[in-house]
Amino acid sequence: MGRIRRLTTVLGAGTLVLGTLTVSVAATTMSASAASKFKACVVTDTGGINDKSFNASAYAGLKDAAKKDSNISYTYLSSTSSADYAPNINSFISKNCGIIVTVGFLMDQATAKAANAHPSQKFAIVDDAPKVKKGTHVSSLQYETDQAGFLGGILAAGMSTTSTVATYGGQPFPSVTLYMNGFVAGVRYYDKTYSKSVKVLGWTPAKGACTLAVCNGKGTFVGNFTDQTAGKTDTTTFFSEGADIVFPVAGSVGLGSIAAAKLAGAGHSVMWVDSNGCVADKADCKWFVGTVAKGVEPSVEAAVLSAAKGTFAAGTYVGTLKNSGTALEYGGITVPSALKSKIATAKAGIIAGTISVNPNKYPAK
Amino acid sequence: MSEVTAAPPRPSLWVRYTSSSPIVVTVFALVLGLVVGALIIITTTPAVLDAWRAIFHGWDGVPHALNVTFNNVGAAYRSMFTGSIVDPQGFWHSLVTGKGWTNTLTPISETFTYATPLVIVSIGVGIAFQTGLFNIGANGQAVIGGISGTVVGSMLHMPTILHLPLTLLAGIAGGMICGAVPGVLKAYTGAHEVIVTLMFNYVAYAFLLFMVLSTPFQQPGQQNDISRTMDPSAQLAPLFGSSSGLRVSFGVFVAALVVAFAWWLLNRSSLGFDFRVTGANPSAARASGINARSVIVVAFLISGGLAGLAGVVQVASTTHYIDGGFLIGNAGIGFTAITVALLGRNKPMGIVWAALLFAALGVGGRNMQAATGIPLDLATVIQSVIVLFVATPVLVKEIFRLRGVSTASVQLATTGWGS
Repeated sequence: MGRIRRLTTVLGAGTLVLGTLTVSVAATTMSASAASKFKACVVTDTGGINDKSFNASAYAGLKDAAKKDSNISYTYLSSTSSADYAPNINSFISKNCGIIVTVGFLMDQATAKAANAHPSQKFAIVDDAPKVKKGTHVSSLQYETDQAGFLGGILAAGMSTTSTVATYGGQPFPSVTLYMNGFVAGVRYYDKTYSKSVKVLGWTPAKGACTLAVCNGKGTFVGNFTDQTAGKTDTTTFFSEGADIVFPVAGSVGLGSIAAAKLAGAGHSVMWVDSNGCVADKADCKWFVGTVAKGVEPSVEAAVLSAAKGTFAAGTYVGTLKNSGTALEYGGITVPSALKSKIATAKAGIIAGTISVNPNKYPAK
Repeated sequence: MSEVTAAPPRPSLWVRYTSSSPIVVTVFALVLGLVVGALIIITTTPAVLDAWRAIFHGWDGVPHALNVTFNNVGAAYRSMFTGSIVDPQGFWHSLVTGKGWTNTLTPISETFTYATPLVIVSIGVGIAFQTGLFNIGANGQAVIGGISGTVVGSMLHMPTILHLPLTLLAGIAGGMICGAVPGVLKAYTGAHEVIVTLMFNYVAYAFLLFMVLSTPFQQPGQQNDISRTMDPSAQLAPLFGSSSGLRVSFGVFVAALVVAFAWWLLNRSSLGFDFRVTGANPSAARASGINARSVIVVAFLISGGLAGLAGVVQVASTTHYIDGGFLIGNAGIGFTAITVALLGRNKPMGIVWAALLFAALGVGGRNMQAATGIPLDLATVIQSVIVLFVATPVLVKEIFRLRGVSTASVQLATTGWGS
């Protein structure tokens, strides 16, 4: 009899829990359909929405759009590996997303495949331009960050008291090296135009001009976008080689550079990347000479808003200084107005097309 | 019920299943995992918390709060189920109209797609466990297998009948080489396999980055960390044709072969017997004339080879290329394999069920996030809770008042550490 009693207890407990679940499952069928809002959906890379970099910016772009247009709802799916891209995108297609935002060149193939299979589905992809068939609705968001990097180079060269500045990257991807290339070009332009001799460490451009897809050269790379200790070591090395301003293009690795600057003391500073350092990292604002910003957030927001309004345009959007898709923002260190006007001149020249951002136009001395 | 008392040597099936047999413990662990998951949903969903804060605002405050709670938890688990197994409504719709089969079958197809490499690598880990060896480096072995398989699959060109087997064999060989080093070091120098295999993961990751950023293997015209794409002749084709839209591939047959091989190896071969004896009692094995060194090396060769096969199956059935993030972080199936092998009690069929469960939770979690906004990480929490309770059968026994714990459910871990 004891066995039977225990049997009943077990079955009872099990049934109770399962029953509760069943009831709750049944209860949801009624509330499933909400009001039909325009859904904006982002598939993030493996970094997820809290990477303080472009995944976070893309998600923030969705939030901004939802703030401006109350008819927009937003959601995200993060990928644990590249094998997740396709099912994540398909999952959003079946959830009737108005626009699907994908992030990074790694999602190129998955996005192109989904767009070709669902031509009427609207996509926006950050930092990449997939090859898709005609009639598809894909907006490629790309940024000529070497233009703002160029201005950053002028700023750094003008602010350096040791006549040496430095840059380093996370990994040698074009989206990274483009910044570094523009930075070097800016420093060389400054040297040539104002007859100075400021040196740049950490990046030597290859021959020819850089494009959004290819930007070759040799330089210093941490090997990832997470190892802050390596960033600190590299920055300290640059300081010991005479540099006083360092431009890390490596996401959160740059925090290691701030630590190194603090250790080295006053007179050392950091140029931030992607999103304004004095906003992303307020506490360290006084260590930032400026930020070479990339407008992922506003361009994603614009794509979402236009898709919701029905004015969505497929094709390539290239962020430039002209359309503020990339920009130089000043940091917590006071910049002399003479230097600011030099930067403004260069900016106008780049926009007008009279100043090239190709470093090979200004041979190193 | 009289036969229960009248059959002293063998209790009836019912009673055995309500005693704490391994299966019962696992099922109750699943229930506990879902309960913990529900508690997390309740305590982190703003709508639910708001409803509970407002219970004194009206006469129907409490029932309303209960209703909101059940709605949210139910929606989460419902979307998890419909996203990983089948959506009953969609199934019925397809059955009646004959349309929409792709959407109806996608959830189960995804579950199998994720489970396939997981089964293979978990069986590799399980075989090492049975031999008393901890193979913590299965992930690195899978990475190396993925690389070598992709090299053969993308840089050599030949007809499918040669190319696919050669690609898979290259993956096995890569994993074997990576697994052999710790095995040989353990057998001949006594270097602890946990340390060596763990450290080999980092060697594998560094090698991966080197490979995907080096000229012959990097995708032409790309400067990013992405490899060449496998030829169609080296890919594991979708089971129902590429136009079906379902990703489940011929890889499931590879996994089935591995399961059959592992069952034969462990239960029918003399080598498997040596493995199990060594795992159960290394001293007794040595005393009875089993060559401990060769057992260790061979077990690591098989374990590493299967991990490598899992790596190449993962590439050949899903992305067809690898990138710098291949199997890194949360995607590290070689680490998930350790828990899957534990959950499956190192037995081939047990591992199949455990891998399917883990895959279903992961795939369903994705659908849950897309549908309800509850983060995918909840699936990981549920997986962890299940493993936690399976690893502590005594706790499950106490919670559900099960009868005595059978030895099978306790015998989870191996004697590898420190032996």
